[in-house]
Amino acid sequence: MRKFVAPLLAGVLAAGLLAGSAAVEAQQKKTLVLVTNAASDFWTFARRGIEKAQKEHPDYRMEMIVTGQATAAEQRRELDDLLARGVSGISLSVDDAAHATEELNKVAAKAVLFTTDSDAPQSNRVAYIGTDNVAAGRNAGNEIKKALPDGGRIMLFVGTLDADNARERVQGIREALAGTKVEIIDVRTDQVDFTKAKSNVEDTLAKYPDISLLSGLWSYNTPEIYDAVKAAGKCGKVKIVGFDEDPRTLRGISEGCVQSTIVQQPFEFGYLSMVNMIKYMNGDKSFLPADHKIIVPTRIIDKANVAEFTAYVKKLLGK
Amino acid sequence: MRKELGLLLLLVVVSAITAAINPLFLSGVNLLDMANLIGLFGVFSIGEGLTIITGGIDLSIGSMFALLGVVFVDLLTEYQMAWPLALLIIIAGGVLLGGLQAFLITRLRMQPFIVTLCGLLIYRGAARYYTTDSTRGFGYGDEADTLRSLAAGHLYGIPNTFLFLVILAVVMGVVLHRSVYGRYLFAVGKNEEAARFSGIRTGLVIAGAYVLSGGLAGVSTVLLVFYTNSVSPSSFGNFYELYAIAAAVLGGCSLRGGEGSIIGIVLGTALLQVLQNLVNILGIPSSLNFAVMGTVILLGVLADQQLQARRKLAAAQASTARAAAAPALARQGQQT
Amino acid sequence: MADMLLELAGITKTYPGVVALDDVSLRVMRGEVLGLIGENGAGKSTLMKILGGVAEPTAGVIRIDGRDHRALTVAGATRAGIAFVHQELNLFENLDVASNVFIGRERLRGGPLMLLDNRAQHARVAPLLERLGADFAPDTPVELLSIAQRQMVEIAKALSVDARVIIMDEPTSSLTLSETERLLRVVADLKAAGVAIIFITHRLAEIMTCADRVVVLRDGRTVGELARGELSHGAMIRLMIGRDLKSLYLPPQSEPRPGGCDIAGLVTSAFPDRSIDLSVRHGEILGLAGLVGAGRTSFARTVFGIDRRLAGEVRLDGAPVRIASPRDAIRQGIYLVPEDRKRAGLVLDMPIRENITLADLLHHARLLLIDRGSETRVARAQAASLGIKAPGVETQAVTLSGGNQQKVVLAKWLSMQPRVVIFDEPTRGIDVGAKTEIYALMRGLADRGVAIAMISSDMEEVIGVSDRIAVMHEGRISGVLDRARFSEYNVLRLAIGQALEPAETAEDMT
Repeated sequence: MRKFVAPLLAGVLAAGLLAGSAAVEAQQKKTLVLVTNAASDFWTFARRGIEKAQKEHPDYRMEMIVTGQATAAEQRRELDDLLARGVSGISLSVDDAAHATEELNKVAAKAVLFTTDSDAPQSNRVAYIGTDNVAAGRNAGNEIKKALPDGGRIMLFVGTLDADNARERVQGIREALAGTKVEIIDVRTDQVDFTKAKSNVEDTLAKYPDISLLSGLWSYNTPEIYDAVKAAGKCGKVKIVGFDEDPRTLRGISEGCVQSTIVQQPFEFGYLSMVNMIKYMNGDKSFLPADHKIIVPTRIIDKANVAEFTAYVKKLLGK
Repeated sequence: MRKELGLLLLLVVVSAITAAINPLFLSGVNLLDMANLIGLFGVFSIGEGLTIITGGIDLSIGSMFALLGVVFVDLLTEYQMAWPLALLIIIAGGVLLGGLQAFLITRLRMQPFIVTLCGLLIYRGAARYYTTDSTRGFGYGDEADTLRSLAAGHLYGIPNTFLFLVILAVVMGVVLHRSVYGRYLFAVGKNEEAARFSGIRTGLVIAGAYVLSGGLAGVSTVLLVFYTNSVSPSSFGNFYELYAIAAAVLGGCSLRGGEGSIIGIVLGTALLQVLQNLVNILGIPSSLNFAVMGTVILLGVLADQQLQARRKLAAAQASTARAAAAPALARQGQQT
Repeated sequence: MADMLLELAGITKTYPGVVALDDVSLRVMRGEVLGLIGENGAGKSTLMKILGGVAEPTAGVIRIDGRDHRALTVAGATRAGIAFVHQELNLFENLDVASNVFIGRERLRGGPLMLLDNRAQHARVAPLLERLGADFAPDTPVELLSIAQRQMVEIAKALSVDARVIIMDEPTSSLTLSETERLLRVVADLKAAGVAIIFITHRLAEIMTCADRVVVLRDGRTVGELARGELSHGAMIRLMIGRDLKSLYLPPQSEPRPGGCDIAGLVTSAFPDRSIDLSVRHGEILGLAGLVGAGRTSFARTVFGIDRRLAGEVRLDGAPVRIASPRDAIRQGIYLVPEDRKRAGLVLDMPIRENITLADLLHHARLLLIDRGSETRVARAQAASLGIKAPGVETQAVTLSGGNQQKVVLAKWLSMQPRVVIFDEPTRGIDVGAKTEIYALMRGLADRGVAIAMISSDMEEVIGVSDRIAVMHEGRISGVLDRARFSEYNVLRLAIGQALEPAETAEDMT
C-alpha cells in the first residue's frame, strides 16, 4: 500500500488545484457550449458564428465541442462532463434523438438546453434552431425533378440513417418525388468513412451503368460523388444534387458537373444558439416561436449564384 | 503454401458466386475499382504483416493516416510546398513514428499492443487538435497535379495504386523470403530466444519491422489522401488497422509470430475488398456490410480448419501404424 | 500387513524410446519415514508422479487399502490420502495462505450464494500452522513469504487433507539449517501420529537422521533397501552409483595445448556473492559436474553473454575478451550448445538447412540476399559428417529425434570457427547410439584444438568422457579432479559440498 501514497497524494493535490481553478473560473463567467453531432467543416461555420457572438458578449465564455465519432454514447459522455463542469447553456446537435430523451431531460433540468441542426422534439429542450430538414429535402427533391424531367433512377448516399437530419432529408426527397417517374433505388451508408463513401459511388456506377442521378445527403458525400463521377468520365451523364457547401461541391457546380446544392446556414446556428441562450437566461423569451422551432431557411446554390456564394464562404472561413 | 491456396480458393469461390448472381461484378469498371482499393489497402497491410511476423502488432496505423494526412494536405495547400518535399516529409514522419514505437518496444521492453494502442489514441488526438476538428481537403485549386496523377492515375487503365502494390509485393517478397533480414525476422518471430542464442541482434530486427510499417503507413497516407481528396482527422483511417490485421491473419500471419507470406497478405486484402464490393454489387443493405464480411471470413476459416484437422488426423494415423511396426524400445537410463 | 498403507508393485513406465522405470516395487508402511534416493534421472520423480496421480504407469499395479488400481488420478490420489509437497512449489502468489491450502476444496457458506467462508478456512488453517511452528498467520499473502515459509504452507496443505502418506520432494533444498531442523522435527511428529512420509533428497545426512528405511533407485530400478541400522554414507553412495563403468573414454590424440580459455573471478547474477575461477585448455574436454541448481548453466550463460556478468573477466589465450552479448561471444569463437535445445538451440519449425546457417547467415549471402545453394551445400556437408539421419536438409527440425536435433545444433557451430565450445547437457534425452556419436564428435573437436567444457548431470558421462572434472557447488568451484582421482564418489562428495578425503582415490572403491 505504501507505494500508492505518493502518487495518491499528488493526484489529490492536482485534482484539487484543477477543481479550484475551474470553480473560480466558472463563478466568474457563465459558460455556453455548442455540441456538434459529427466532425466536419460544416461546424467550422458554426464556430465562426459563435466567435461573432462571443465578440458581442464578452462577459460569457463560449465553446464548441465536436463529437468526433458521431455516436450517441460519445455525446452522453460529453454532456455528463459538461454538467459536471457546471455550464449554463448547451446547444446540441443530437446524434440519436429517439433514445436520447432521458439524457437530454437530465441536461435540461440543470442548464438551458437548445437543440440545433438535428432535433430531439420529445425532450424538454427550450428551442430548436436549425434547418427544417424535411423542407430542405423537398428542395433537393425539386432540384432532382428539374434535373430529370423525364424521370430516371437515382441513388442516395449518407453517413448513417441513425441521425434525424438524414432521415428527414430522405423523407423530404421522397415527398417531392412522389408521383413522378423518378425512382429511388436505395440509400447507401458509409459510417462517415470517406473512402467507403467514394467506393460506394464507384460500386453504384458499376452496378447501374445507366443510373441518372446521385445525391449526397451529408456534407462530405457530395464531393466524393463529384470525384468519382468525374474520374469515371460521366460528368453531365450522371447528374448530381447535394447538400452543404464543400469546396469541391461548389467547384462542381461552377463546372456544371453538379446540378445544385442545398446549403444550410450553420453560421446562424452557431450565432443564434449563443445569442438566444443568453436572451433566455436573462428572461427574454420574445424570440421563442409557439412551436419552439426557430427555422433558419436553406438556400439553393446552383450555377447562377455559385461564384458569389463561393466568395462569401472563402471570406467566412478566412481562406 | 497451403494457407495461401486455401485463401485463394475462398476468394475464387466468393467471386464466382457473386459473378453468377450479378455478372457486372466482373465488368471492367468494377474490377478496376476493386484493384484500386486493393492497392490502397494492400500497401499498409504488408507493413502490418511484418510487425505481426515478429510476434507483435501495430494498432496505430489508422491514426497515423489521420495525423500524417492532415499535415500532408496542409503542406500542399497552406504552405504551397513542392510535392517531392511534402512526400518526403510524410514518409519520414511515418518512419519517425514507427521508430519511436520501435524504441519503446525493443529498448524499454514495452508490449507492442500497449505502445501501438497509445499511438492509436495519441496520433488521432494530435490530428484533431492540430486542425481543431475541421476537415482538410483539396478544395479550390488543383494542387500537386504531378503527384496526384502518380498516386491516383492509371497506366493503360490499371490503377497506379495497384501497380505500386504489385511492385511493393515483389520487393517485400524478396526481402521477406530471400534476404538475410527476412530469415532473421522469421527466426525472431518463431523463437526469439533461439535467435538470440545464435547471435542475432533481435532488437534491431524487431525495430526494423516497426520502422518499415511506419514508412509504408506514410506512403499509404499519400495514396489515400489522393483518393478521398479530404481528410477528416476524427474519421480518416478509422479502424483501418483492423483491415490490415485481418488481411495479414487471413493470409497466414500467425498472431504468435514467425509465420506469414506477402502473397497471403495481398490475397487477404483482396478478399476483404471483394467482400465489401459484393455488398454493394448484390444490393445487400449497407448496414450489413461488416456482418457479411465477418460471416464469410468465419465460415471460410472454419472450413479451412476442419479440412486441416482431417488431414492431420489421417497423417497421424498413418504414422502410428508405422510406429507400431517398429522394433521394441531400447533400454535407457536417462529420464527424469 | 494391516500396517501397510500402500504398495507399488511391478511399476514400469516407458516414454517413446526411453524406459524410465523398470519393474519397481515399493511398500509404504504406516508411521514410517521412507527415504528414496538415487541420482538425477534414476526415476524418483517419475515414480512419485505416478503415485501422485500425475502420470500413468505403463505396467504394474498400485495397491491401496487392499484395492488394486491400474493408475491414479490427482483426485484419486488425494482421496486415498496421498499428498505431494513438490520441489517446485505450486502456490498461488496472489492469494493468501488459507486460500492456497484450500484451493480446489474451498469452504463455502450462504447456501445457494456460494460465498467463500474465509473465516472457517482461517480457523482450520491456524492450528496446522501452529503445529508446524510457523511464524505467520493464515491471512498472509503468499507473495510475502520466504521459500522456507512457503514450503510450510505446502506441508500444511498436505496436513489439511488428512494425508496418510506425504511425499516430500527435496524439501530442504532451500532451507537454512535451523529451518531444516524444524522440518525434521515436524516429520518426526507426523510419524508419531501414524502418517507415512516418503522423503526424497540428495542430503544423505538428513536421511541418516530421520529415515527408518531407505530405498535406492538406479537407472529406473530398485537396487537395494537399507534398514535403519544399515545406514551409512558409504553404503548409500555405493548403491546409488555402483555400476560397471562402460568405457566411454576416448583418449585425446595429443597433449592439451598451452593456452585456452581462462575465466577469472567471474560473478554471475544468479550467485552474486560467489566467484568462479576456471581454466579450459585447448584440446581438452573439461567436465563440469554438480547438483541441479549448483550454478553450472548460469556460468555457461554468463560466459556466452546471455546473462549479465557482474564481475570478473574471460581471457582467450591470455588476451581478455569483452563479451556483452552472444554476438560478441560468437565473434570470439566461443559457442554454447544450450541445455534446452528445443527452446534455445533450434527454431523447430525451420528446416535443418536454416537452423544450421542461422548463426552465420551473412556468410551465405550476397548483397544481403541469401544464396540457397551455398546454404544447402554447407548443410549437406555438415549433415553427412555428423551423421544426421533425415530425409534431407529441408526436413523440419521438429520431426527429428532428440539425437539428430542435437546434431543439428552442433552442426550450426561446427560450420563456423570454434575456439571454445560449452556443451550444456549435450546428451539429455538422447539414446545410447547417438550419445557415443556425439562423444566422438566432441573428441574430434578437441583434437582440432578446441577447448571444450561439458556440463553434465550424468555421472557416467562426466567420468567417462572428460579429461578433467570441475565440480560446482552452490555457485563456486568446489574442486577440480584429474583422471587419477576420477571416481563417482569423489564427484558426489564435491557436489554436495564436502571436501575430498586426501587418501581416497578410485582404487579405494571396491
